[in-house]
Amino acid sequence: MENINKLTAVAQIKWICISRNTAIMIGPILTVAMVWICKILYGINSGGDLSPMLVSLLLNLGISLNLCLDGFIMVGTAIAEEKEKHTLRVLMTSSITGMQYFIGSIIFPFVLMNIINIVVLLISGVSMSQVSVAAFLLVSAAASLISCVMGMIVGLCAKNQMNANLISYPLMFVFMMIPMFGNLSEKLHHISGFLFTGVLTEMAGGFAEGIPYTFKALDITVLIAELVISILVFLMLYRRNGYEKD
Amino acid sequence: MEQNVLLDLSHISKRYKTELALKDINITLHKGEILGFLGPSGSGKTTTIKIITGQLRQTSGEAKILGTDTVNIDDSIYEKIGVVSDQSGIYEKMTVWQNLSMFAKIWRVPRIRVEEVLHQVELYGHRKKPAGKLSRGQTQRLVLARAVLHKPRILFLDEPTSGLDPSTAVSIHKMLLELKEEGMSIFLTTHNMEEATKLCDRVALLYQGKIAECGSPKELCLKYNQNKKYHLLLHNQEEVVLEQSPQNIAKISEWMQRDEIQCIHSCEPTLERVFLQVTGASLGLANI
Ligand SMILES: Nc1ncnc2c1ncn2[C@@H]1O[C@H](COP(=O)(O)OP(=O)(O)OP(=O)(O)O)[C@@H](O)[C@H]1O
Ligand SMILES: [Mg+2]
Repeated sequence: MENINKLTAVAQIKWICISRNTAIMIGPILTVAMVWICKILYGINSGGDLSPMLVSLLLNLGISLNLCLDGFIMVGTAIAEEKEKHTLRVLMTSSITGMQYFIGSIIFPFVLMNIINIVVLLISGVSMSQVSVAAFLLVSAAASLISCVMGMIVGLCAKNQMNANLISYPLMFVFMMIPMFGNLSEKLHHISGFLFTGVLTEMAGGFAEGIPYTFKALDITVLIAELVISILVFLMLYRRNGYEKD
Repeated sequence: MEQNVLLDLSHISKRYKTELALKDINITLHKGEILGFLGPSGSGKTTTIKIITGQLRQTSGEAKILGTDTVNIDDSIYEKIGVVSDQSGIYEKMTVWQNLSMFAKIWRVPRIRVEEVLHQVELYGHRKKPAGKLSRGQTQRLVLARAVLHKPRILFLDEPTSGLDPSTAVSIHKMLLELKEEGMSIFLTTHNMEEATKLCDRVALLYQGKIAECGSPKELCLKYNQNKKYHLLLHNQEEVVLEQSPQNIAKISEWMQRDEIQCIHSCEPTLERVFLQVTGASLGLANI
């Protein structure tokens, strides 16, 4: 690619901005900490050994938190911060294209989210012999990507960082809460199957309970459909105003 | 298009929903020239810059930048022009050096150029500081440094010195004149008439979205010097303002022969007075 320098410059800027923004970085740290603490608490109650049900719960918690808290917020808030500090306009008038900004903005969050998914998997204590690593990585990548694109939509609509959080809440409510509480109600569990977050938590839960994983047509459809829909929504909004309304 | 016309606006107008912000703007910018867009708040200066730099689409008319219609420009135009908007930001969490080196990467500018520019804006000593810790004047110099890093052919500056102390403003003026010497063309907006008089080869007086007058500052001042006057300070501390008339000329020459004059000035109008006369409006705070 001819303009790889521009892409890496954006990615580098985003890396510095995100990693030094405590309001953003609290997300991934909190995710790992929550899983860790819950594991200890569950362990105390059940005398050390976690039942598959509890491991599944841990995985569910960590993955839902990661995909929503980190994804939407990390990508969305970082763009909102650039609007707030008037640097987005500077980048867009420095020969960075919309596409380069898009890709550059999601590289770091995407990688970090996948790493955290793996960390959560390791902390949960699920027996690795029950995990189909390749399938997990693939679905984790797809889900992280969808989360990043949704984060871009949040960033597109947000005027400032507070605003970005506000816009993220309804998304978080749907994509985080439903899979999280899926264990409590059969109805929620059913809906959760139609969410990209639910596909990954369901898969991880299966690992915990020792069910061998097989790709289901519904899962693949859900992932592809939600990716396509979020990209279309992004493009529609982008066509209208670009990254920043004038 | 003529070789050294870098910018050519013809019949540009812009309508925001109900408000007509620009009405039939015609102007050109030549190579190595500093062109000033002068006008009170809300007269359409920022709107004009946004249209020329492709950030906003005009309602009608045609704008050509470096030979290309602004409707057809893509992001690569920004490799050839530098833009400082009225609120260009910096990355506060990065150091001064990083702020420039990121853009050096975007434009494939060598490291040595970053050093050169840092020296030019006198921020080399602060290069390791987080940019968020810079003072306002230093921040503005960093913004300027970033805009000229890639040696653009045209530099657009939207109110580059507004809100700065006089000495920082002067150092920015000095830098702009140096850039002009290097052959860069500059399009700037300001509502500071003095700044315009000092810097600009040509100024356009913008009022309510129309160009009311256009020409070199001197030309305009002389053009509106309709009744010539002289301001004199005599040795007896008396101050007088005399119009050009046979009696007054006799009077002045008599004082001169008797060496009674401490100082004498001709009272051609300042750009500000010209502006007020042309528009019949006041410039608010800039008013004397
Ligand atoms: N996005 C917008 N929507 C509607 N009206 C706008 C918009 N941007 C500018 N205007 C209007 O257009 C007119 C010109 O605005 P512009 O920002 O170009 O003025 P300016 O000369 O740059 O003023 P200043 O010296 O205060 O920066 C103003 O009356 C302003 O209210
Ligand atoms: Mg303005």
